[in-house]
Amino acid sequence: MYALSDVRKVFGNDAPALDGVSLTVGRGEHVAFIGPSGAGKTTLFRLLNLTLRPTAGVLLIDGVDVAALDGAGLRRARRRIGTIYQQHNLVGRLRVVHNVLAGNLGRWSLSTAVASLMRPRAADAARALEQVGIPEKLWARTDELSGGQQQRVAIARVLLQDPDVILADEPVSSVDPSLALTIVTLLRDLSHQSRKTLLVNLHSVELALGYFPRIVGVREGRIAFDLAPDEVTPELLGALYAGHSDATRQLDRIHDGIGSYGTACRPLPGFSK
Amino acid sequence: MASAPTAPPAARFPASPSRAPFGRFLAAAFTVVLAISLREAGVDPRLLVQSDAVGNAARFVRGMFPPALGVDFLGLLVRPVIETIQISLMGTTIAVVIGFPLGLLATASLMWRGALHERTPVARRALLGGVPYGLARALLSVFRAIPEYVWAFMFVRAVGLGPFPAVLALGVAYGGMLGKVYSEILEGVDSRPIEALRAAGASRAAIVLYGLVPSALPHLVSYTLYRWECAIRAAAILGFVGAGGIGQQLALSMRMFQFDEVLTELAVLFALVAAVDFVSGRIRGRLV
Repeated sequence: MYALSDVRKVFGNDAPALDGVSLTVGRGEHVAFIGPSGAGKTTLFRLLNLTLRPTAGVLLIDGVDVAALDGAGLRRARRRIGTIYQQHNLVGRLRVVHNVLAGNLGRWSLSTAVASLMRPRAADAARALEQVGIPEKLWARTDELSGGQQQRVAIARVLLQDPDVILADEPVSSVDPSLALTIVTLLRDLSHQSRKTLLVNLHSVELALGYFPRIVGVREGRIAFDLAPDEVTPELLGALYAGHSDATRQLDRIHDGIGSYGTACRPLPGFSK
Repeated sequence: MASAPTAPPAARFPASPSRAPFGRFLAAAFTVVLAISLREAGVDPRLLVQSDAVGNAARFVRGMFPPALGVDFLGLLVRPVIETIQISLMGTTIAVVIGFPLGLLATASLMWRGALHERTPVARRALLGGVPYGLARALLSVFRAIPEYVWAFMFVRAVGLGPFPAVLALGVAYGGMLGKVYSEILEGVDSRPIEALRAAGASRAAIVLYGLVPSALPHLVSYTLYRWECAIRAAAILGFVGAGGIGQQLALSMRMFQFDEVLTELAVLFALVAAVDFVSGRIRGRLV
């Protein structure tokens, strides 16, 4: 699906946000990205969804170099990538139905888009909302929903878009732990059913290790490790979060074995008390 | 506080950037400009209390009472009042038709700047973004730099007397103001939902439709209503160049020294503006 080699991203005169990132993600793979805030995870996701352009290095999608894409070709490529954001990035003043149907905008002609604002194809949106568990919110105004419900609307929008890959950038950082677990499993199950590639950027190490078969640690714009969850040792995590305020919090939770996410997390080697 | 807190070592945090010299310079420059303006604008309060000034004003005011309330005269005002409302409505409508597309073109975040255009090649960004952006901004500046009174004067020459030149004048001058403010409102819209639509492959037009306009709608409508209120007042003034409406009656009465009629016409104008204030206030209240 993705092949990155030696990708670098610099904003203005700052230190590079990403440097020397090489990574391959196969079709249908589920990968969790972890690391302290400011490590460059969000920048990486914005490169992967073709919002940003690498300063240097090569980004291939299915073997195609996306640097050359432009105009209609770029739009076609973006259509195949669905993104879920920490802040939902929905249009609050629109009804839920329109936010969900907006997933179609990459495919629709302008006249279809206009027509849909007046007579939305509600059945399509309703089906997607059914899948994420809030069918009754179809006609609600989006900014009247809770944070968790808005995140479900954002997932429904991606379902309508029907992309090949789903990028979820900190999808559960603004919801409580039990809801976080629900949303992560929802994302995982939905992508599994439709054989989509799923890349998730997670604030919680516990969720990442418990639910994803491949863990990529990012620190200071570089990939620190790329391992299966049972190969991720406390030492690696300690180094990943070293000097960051949430380091001890993250690690203590795993050491104590009482996660916020209940018993669903399987015990990991090296983390027993 | 019982004990004085010990001051933290100065080196621990950066000092706040000092803008004091610049502030002092601004204050000094402002004072000088104000002083010069006071003299050059001929501000002389003594003129207000000179005997003939007071006499003239008194005659003007005395002439206003009692206001003209004859049925014939009031009947004469009905048409111009309706005409004024129609001029303001049509003028504002044309202003929206001119201002909205130009306002979109004059929105930097839509045309060439920011996250939407990270991946646009520089040449395309300049040619298809920067050039129309610059032209739209220039056009909007010209439209609003020329006062609606002057526009009306030109349109009277072009299309003759009557309400139509007033409508055109309002449309162009207010189109320039609306376009400028629309672009500022659209610029201020939260960019995150826009980025999400872009990332899903939406075209620029679709982004305007599903992202920019819905988010900005209350502000866009609110400012347009405010402009409509201004248009009522302006429509009255435009009557002075023969563009019809209540203003034309006002100009006639003043020229004929019929101050009793002037008072009635001013009262009608006041009622009109108050009514429009009320209506637009209600609409705005429901929007927010």
